[in-house]
Amino acid sequence: MIAVLPVSADTTVPVDIHDLDYDRFLEEVHSFEFWFEAVSGYLTGLTWGHRPGLVDRPRTPEERERLVTVLCNYCVGEAAALEGASGLVAIAPNRLAKVFLATQVVDEGRHLEIFYHRLRDLGVDDPESEVERRASRSLLLFRRRLLELVTSKDWEAAIFAQNVILESLEFAVFASHAKDADPITADLLQGVIRDERRHMGFGENELGRRLAAAPHIRSRLGQTKKELDHLVLDALEETTRLIGLPRDEHERLGRLYLGSVERLGFS
Amino acid sequence: MSDPLQVEEPSVGRPPEMPRQRYLLDDTGFDEVPKKYRRFYRKWRGPGDVLAPNEVVCPVCKVVIRSTRELHVGDRVYCMPCMSRLVVARAEDGTLEARVAY
Repeated sequence: MIAVLPVSADTTVPVDIHDLDYDRFLEEVHSFEFWFEAVSGYLTGLTWGHRPGLVDRPRTPEERERLVTVLCNYCVGEAAALEGASGLVAIAPNRLAKVFLATQVVDEGRHLEIFYHRLRDLGVDDPESEVERRASRSLLLFRRRLLELVTSKDWEAAIFAQNVILESLEFAVFASHAKDADPITADLLQGVIRDERRHMGFGENELGRRLAAAPHIRSRLGQTKKELDHLVLDALEETTRLIGLPRDEHERLGRLYLGSVERLGFS
Repeated sequence: MSDPLQVEEPSVGRPPEMPRQRYLLDDTGFDEVPKKYRRFYRKWRGPGDVLAPNEVVCPVCKVVIRSTRELHVGDRVYCMPCMSRLVVARAEDGTLEARVAY
């Protein structure tokens, strides 16, 4: 006997989502509607990005210093992503990409806001100047180069830099940091990681489709990767040292980051 | 874990024309996609996690993708959390894995 699956009460959803036509899938996941329902699932009820009532754990002045520096650098990365994503809306090649990037702009704005708020929580009176003072040189250079790519309207290279390179780095670092962070920082990071899945997935898939249709852009993107790789890996080194991750975890994060670019055919 | 609606017989050695095992998917609490799609995904619980025959891990975002039917090589699945289209393939160790199909 073969079991009969119940028909979904929502007739717009097939019994198996994997039966959706690819165009319809893309239309769905790039929609504002999808984004809104998705983030409502994990952001509803949070205050400044974390569940209310969580108790911070005691830390030594040294540990606080390190956490402040790490959060300042997260702010640099998020500010770069916010500026990058907002600039990319204008040069996105189609409606779906524009709508998706609009949702990413909101995500990045939220990330920046909650990291700034966390700095204030930790007793930083003037987060703006603290971020400026503690920012990693590699991340600042990365941000400048990313914005140059956006300004020059190089869609593929800018998406590569932002949604593949930067987002993959953030995804790997945040996931690792969240495992051992204090309860409030960990909760913040978990919410951010959920957003990052969409951002890096968008970048990898958008570029993968572009590379398949226009293989000649590969060498140009290879140059972009070469140019940005050392900045990213330097930033990774610096951040993992501050978080206090062991060497093997640092290497694992490096491999995670490289995994995304390798799937696109870059070594 | 998925609850098979009906266990027919083990998939190993089953002739290809036999119907696939079907699964009734339950909500696993995965909250990163709209409610109507949540049953198709779950969190990867780490190295000790065991995948059911209707599950594969997304190589892009590491979420477990679930289908209402037993997965076979060549099947297409979608990862909504990272918006990827994937194809099921046989890994070197003999297990099923998902590969991105741009």
